[in-house]
Amino acid sequence: AMCPGGCGVRVRRISERAVKLEGNPLHPVNGGRLCPRGQAALQSLYHPDRIAGPLHRVGPRGAIGSFERVSWDRALDAIGGGLRKLREAGRPESLVLLRGSSRGIGSRGARRFLEAFGSPNDVVLDRGDEAAAIALALTQGVRAVPAYDLASADYVLCVGGALLEAASSPVHAMRSFGQFRQGRTGRRGKLVCVESRLSITGSSADEWIPVRAGTEGVFALGVAGVLVSEGLYNRDFLLERTEGFEDSRRGDAVARPGLRTLLSRHYGLERVSSETGVPVDAILRVAREFAAARRSLAVGPRRGPLLPGRVFDHLAVQILNALVASVDAPGGVLVPEPVPLAAWPELAADAAAEEGRRRPRLDGVSGKSGVSDKISPRALSDPEQLAEAILTETPYRAEALIALGADPLFTSAAPEKFARAIERIPLTVSFASLPDDTALACDWILPEAHFLERWELWTTPPGVAYPLASLAQPALVKPLHDVRPAAEIFLALARRVSPQIEAAFPAKDVPALLQFEMGGLYRARRGAIMGTPFDEAWVRMMEGAGWWAPGYGSAEELWKGALRSGGWWDPFYDHEDWKRVLRTESGRYEFRADLLEPSAGPIEPPPSTAKPAEAKGTARRSLSLHLFEPLAIAGGTGAELPFLQAILDPGHAAGWETWVEIHPEMAALLGVREGESVRVRSKDGEILARARLTPRVVAATAAIPVGLGKRGGGRWAAGVGANPLRLLPAARDPIGGLPDLDATAVEIVPASAGEPRRERKV
Amino acid sequence: MVVDLDRCTACQACVVACQVENNVAPAGAAEWRQGRAVSWLRLVAFQNGEHGTRPELRLMPVSCMHCQRPPCIKVCPVKATQIDREGLVAQVYARCIGCRYCTTACPYTVRHFNWKRPEWPRPMEQALSPDVSVRPRGVVEKCSFCHHRLQRARDQARLEGRRLREGDYVPACVETCPAEAMAFGDLEDPGSSVSRLAQGPRVFRLLEELGTEPKVIYLSKGESGGRA
Amino acid sequence: MEGPEPTRDHRDDTLLQPIAKSGRPFWMLVGTLLAIGLWGAYAWSTQLRRGLSMTGLNVPVYWGLYITNFVFFIGISHAGTLISAILRLSHAEWRRPITRAAEVITVLVLFFGMGNVVLDLGRPDRVLNVLKHGNFTSPLLWDVASITTYLTASTIYLYLPLIPDIAILRDRLGKRHRFYRALSLGWAGTPRQQRILNGAIAAMAVIVIPIAVSVHTVVSWVFAMTVQPMWHSTIFGPYFVVGAIFSGIAAIIIAMAVIRRAYHLENYLKPIHFNNLGILLLVMTLLWFYFTFAEFLTTYYGAEPAHMAVFRSKTEGQFSPLFWFMFVTCFVVPFSFLANKRTRGTVWGTVTASISIEIGMWLERFLIVVPSLSHPRLPRTAASYTPSWVEWSMFAAFISMFLLLYAVFTKLFPIISIWEVREGREHGIREVTERVESYLPAAAEATHG
Ligand SMILES: Nc1nc2c(c(=O)[nH]1)N[C@H]1C(S)=C(S)[C@@H](COP(=O)(O)OP(=O)(O)OC[C@H]3O[C@@H](n4cnc5c(=O)[nH]c(N)nc54)[C@H](O)[C@@H]3O)O[C@H]1N2
Ligand SMILES: Nc1nc2c(c(=O)[nH]1)N[C@H]1C(S)=C(S)[C@@H](COP(=O)(O)OP(=O)(O)OC[C@H]3O[C@@H](n4cnc5c(=O)[nH]c(N)nc54)[C@H](O)[C@@H]3O)O[C@H]1N2
Ligand code: SF4
Ligand code: SF4
Ligand code: SF4
Ligand code: SF4
Ligand code: SF4
Ligand SMILES: [Mo]
Repeated sequence: AMCPGGCGVRVRRISERAVKLEGNPLHPVNGGRLCPRGQAALQSLYHPDRIAGPLHRVGPRGAIGSFERVSWDRALDAIGGGLRKLREAGRPESLVLLRGSSRGIGSRGARRFLEAFGSPNDVVLDRGDEAAAIALALTQGVRAVPAYDLASADYVLCVGGALLEAASSPVHAMRSFGQFRQGRTGRRGKLVCVESRLSITGSSADEWIPVRAGTEGVFALGVAGVLVSEGLYNRDFLLERTEGFEDSRRGDAVARPGLRTLLSRHYGLERVSSETGVPVDAILRVAREFAAARRSLAVGPRRGPLLPGRVFDHLAVQILNALVASVDAPGGVLVPEPVPLAAWPELAADAAAEEGRRRPRLDGVSGKSGVSDKISPRALSDPEQLAEAILTETPYRAEALIALGADPLFTSAAPEKFARAIERIPLTVSFASLPDDTALACDWILPEAHFLERWELWTTPPGVAYPLASLAQPALVKPLHDVRPAAEIFLALARRVSPQIEAAFPAKDVPALLQFEMGGLYRARRGAIMGTPFDEAWVRMMEGAGWWAPGYGSAEELWKGALRSGGWWDPFYDHEDWKRVLRTESGRYEFRADLLEPSAGPIEPPPSTAKPAEAKGTARRSLSLHLFEPLAIAGGTGAELPFLQAILDPGHAAGWETWVEIHPEMAALLGVREGESVRVRSKDGEILARARLTPRVVAATAAIPVGLGKRGGGRWAAGVGANPLRLLPAARDPIGGLPDLDATAVEIVPASAGEPRRERKV
Repeated sequence: MVVDLDRCTACQACVVACQVENNVAPAGAAEWRQGRAVSWLRLVAFQNGEHGTRPELRLMPVSCMHCQRPPCIKVCPVKATQIDREGLVAQVYARCIGCRYCTTACPYTVRHFNWKRPEWPRPMEQALSPDVSVRPRGVVEKCSFCHHRLQRARDQARLEGRRLREGDYVPACVETCPAEAMAFGDLEDPGSSVSRLAQGPRVFRLLEELGTEPKVIYLSKGESGGRA
Repeated sequence: MEGPEPTRDHRDDTLLQPIAKSGRPFWMLVGTLLAIGLWGAYAWSTQLRRGLSMTGLNVPVYWGLYITNFVFFIGISHAGTLISAILRLSHAEWRRPITRAAEVITVLVLFFGMGNVVLDLGRPDRVLNVLKHGNFTSPLLWDVASITTYLTASTIYLYLPLIPDIAILRDRLGKRHRFYRALSLGWAGTPRQQRILNGAIAAMAVIVIPIAVSVHTVVSWVFAMTVQPMWHSTIFGPYFVVGAIFSGIAAIIIAMAVIRRAYHLENYLKPIHFNNLGILLLVMTLLWFYFTFAEFLTTYYGAEPAHMAVFRSKTEGQFSPLFWFMFVTCFVVPFSFLANKRTRGTVWGTVTASISIEIGMWLERFLIVVPSLSHPRLPRTAASYTPSWVEWSMFAAFISMFLLLYAVFTKLFPIISIWEVREGREHGIREVTERVESYLPAAAEATHG
């Protein structure tokens, strides 16, 4: 798995060499299929620039030549020694763990290490699913990434997101899409995409509705307004399961205006049409189609693992699902269940660690970290604030940092601030396997084993409704290089720092850890070993009837069966289990009209979204920046592999460079020609990109892919393209506190034009 | 082979799977820009909307069509490309003189030439599959319908003392396609699933007006019904 | 009435001068051309080592400068044999000082035409597969066959009229005696020998014409037999032949002007020769225009999108500067120089037209090869094709080596056929008088009457 998608993989081996990866046909996530990233994964295993063993930096940051190879013992002793000193000095909180979105054992081991060590600073960098999860927490009271049941839907309205290529589990989403379209006799699903840039998903859609950048949520509310005013909603569901549709009254006075009032007051058709640029009849038509289809589903904006979209937009889109009762229904929005892995034993009493964990987090996020079912309507991590805190040393100083599957110098919304911040930390360690930008700036690199070289137990990927645990053993008998699995490295560090930390791990090596965790699945007395579609139907039927017919009689048998087949899962989804999926205070779906007041969201179009004709007169022509993540380089990884660099966007046959999509009419105004190099400048940064003139973007929008422009990443990634995350301002989404990626105005000038005249901002 | 464009998500897994399966050497940025990166399968983009019409982007995976009447074969001066017993258009690397006449004659532009010696920076050569020969410099190559898989499947079937069954032989691109947009089988066997798919109203072939009789069949987007 | 013994006739000694001695300018020329040739050898060696990645070719522009030059050189080859054969068969008396210079061009340039195909191969080491595994459905194989035939026939056709002149050299020159003796095949100029020779030359002239026509037709078929846009055209055969003759005549005119100047042959190659060739060239200019017009109009009216993409790229797109420049050099310039009696009657006038035509015809070949390939039927982002230094070097080297061999030829053999000029002087006038009389209505009787 190159991504959190967690597909099951089978390896075709020739003696000791892996020559081809195939999907595991029994695996429910991917059913034998792989996405291009999975197919290219061998290039990461055999990458010529992989780090072959532990490295210690002896020269300036930023260059692989500054590192010298050391033994694992030396590296672990040095790092373990440094960490032990922090703990002994009573400052365990000054250790920061920065990790990606992996749901593997490495991540669980890292968290346990951090907890036992005594630090609250568990910071997750990839936030693609956060906005959707926050919206779910706000409306349904469950802090989870919603799962969209695409395969069973008849009509999908995808608002502002690239449903397929930007999904957490692309293969799962695409399999569902195939099913949605042509997998059911007599039923063909219709997909309508509402976005300001025609994404690759949009190219598969039946219709693209271009919408002014940043107004996706407004469009959804416009559609909701039609549903409500024409009475095209599910009255029963509204009455029984929702809260906040009608005004709540105290006596004669309106205490809190409900959704109906909100929509009629602020999101009338004319207004929505003029704000979004979508004709009134298109809004009407979409609303009626949405209401008429048997199973309609609206999907909110998400453009990739790094680009979550605004919570406002997700809330607005969720309303559509609630209005037609596509909540926890087949073809609707489902809420994934946690995987019943055995919980790790309680931490032994350790005053120092407890004291440390109670300190405020450096990124300012309050509450206990990493608890996924906590109902927090805010982001669980704030890496940009972390960078700020490191630089200002408030509330305290960060003295050690471990980066696991995270490359903040490249993928955070403030890459340059992170580059400065990391220099302030005396002990920095990266687990990178290829020398990424962050690794090159760290003091130590402890190369993590490739996923084909290690034991793994992945839990359900985001976006998948059923609980699932994929078990994998190393595909190679021994790793290609002197590298170790992250969990093993943490075990080794634990041993060196303190016996209390070591004791916090329930086993002494990785397979044993996994076996321990799998014990929980056995005891859960549900689910089955992964199997064929027939097995799946059988289990589903049995469980639907209240039976459980395991194919295993002991934990040992489960372990062995899971190893053979790829894992364990429970294919039975109990729809309309309201107690589980509606856990708000009211026990109902809450519309949260209070958060959708125009003042709370980006209702006023940014000055940059004017039509070209309107912009003609003004001296300064700013465009709104639209970032997207091509599947090949999503999540900031992929550019390292030549096969992926070549498939960035089939629409332009783009590869090996960063481009900016500009509408031809806008380009004419800007004096930009097709294919020429341009400077894209925001008030926070500037990058070079190649201009691609295309009607795929709405006028006044500049669309740029994220994922290129690394300093590191090996021979194929380093220096290729530019990183548009450098253009982002520090703006925050007012709901939830995630970075607001849709609030950046940029101007574009041909690179040949040299320095443009300095103009004052209007 | 049947490609259902109504399912296809343009993810390009098929493109990469083909490269990995068939020992295509990694190309760098320079080669890519020069238009020399080898890809037996590519996504062809049909875009409109430049002239004020509704913008639309249609993407279509295109490999060798294994034409029944292939223009490429006629023009090869040395019979280095031939139609074989199974009806696959095969390429004889050891005989090809690299004149690139076939490449210019193929209306689908799916043939590739080895402009230089393919290279795998160590240790990437370890991922080379022994089933597929590495092409030397100066010869033309193209999609083989994963012919080596056919051989493997046939050997396996012989070992098990049975005839080749549907599903025994599936090319790498078809195998990986996440949307299950691609199907592969024997078009001459009326009972095969591809034959059934090839009956429907959505069927069309690429550039069929040229009379090449492609064996790759597309299903267009849209309802499967049509005019009743 | 017979003149002096052939080998004792001193009236045409000017024609032996270049063979008798070579001055510094000649050796300087040889040195320069050799240097360019050596540079070409180096360029080729890099291509052999690193493959065709050394060219600017790509997908989908699989063919470029080499194939352009192949077509161009083979086109030029129509200079000699074909023109000479037609003039011989039609008893055009003014042909006598021209034929040899023309025929040499054919034989030499064919090698370079074929050489370009070998250059273009990815595996030149396997070129013999064409014989071992020849596939006769491939127009490329038709090419191999017809060009080889043409080369053989042209060589014989060049050699036959050389024999009497070689005998003169054998008897008069006093050097390379053995060389000339061997090549003269015991020529003594007996009437029987002369009769056989004349018969053989006449027969070869007849044979060579269809072969020549076939060669360029087949070259065009390399393109026309594919279904590619703006290649798949029935007009291509004759269009290519016309173009070939067009560029061929222009090449003769240039060659004549150069040897006239270099070897002081003003007495032999007179403005009237240039004028007569100029008239032929004018006809070809108009024919070329006619074919080009017909070709483009047909495409335009058919308006098939795939064809129109190529059409547009030539007339208004990326290739339009080259296209319109081609139009000027192939038509506007030669037409205005050649239609005007005053400029056509001068050497510089026809030579200017000819140089313009050579440039234009080279561009025409380039514009046939590259734009069609740049616009394949299925959309594809085409990397644009710019020939690399290796390709340009090979072009320069081939031209240099051609010029060098041509120059060396003039140093070994008379570039104007001595015996034919004499024959013209001795028999031609009588023959023409008789012939003209034979056209007239019984003139003698009329006077008697
Ligand atoms: N308002 C109105 N409604 C009418 C009628 C009317 O006069 N007015 N007439 C009625 C009558 S008589 C009829 S017969 C029906 C016709 O109604 P439809 O069956 O809807 O016929 P068309 O509108 O012609 O559309 C047929 C579809 O087939 C597609 N198509 C075209 N060629 C091909 C092909 O080769 N292969 C495939 N797979 N698809 C193709 C077209 O693009 C189009 O999408 O409409 C009836 N409905
Ligand atoms: N360009 C184009 N041509 C087509 C088609 C297409 O899609 N596009 N479709 C084709 C098809 S499928 C069909 S069925 C034909 C249909 O072609 P037509 O049969 O020509 O059908 P209409 O155009 O509906 O015209 C029928 C006539 O009948 C008249 N009419 C209406 N009601 C009655 C009535 O009760 N009694 C009488 N006596 N007359 C009445 C109408 O006024 C009209 O003049 O067209 C075919 N031609
Ligand atoms: S979706 Fe993720 S896990 Fe699945 S194949 Fe692609 S990269 Fe691998
Ligand atoms: S793998 Fe399947 S879905 Fe993806 S581009 Fe290829 S055919 Fe389309
Ligand atoms: S698609 Fe091209 S290469 Fe393949 S058989 Fe047809 S003509 Fe030949
Ligand atoms: S390149 Fe090879 S296969 Fe193609 S026509 Fe030439 S010899 Fe035949
Ligand atoms: S059939 Fe095989 S060779 Fe052809 S495109 Fe698919 S994977 Fe490549
Ligand atoms: Mo009809």
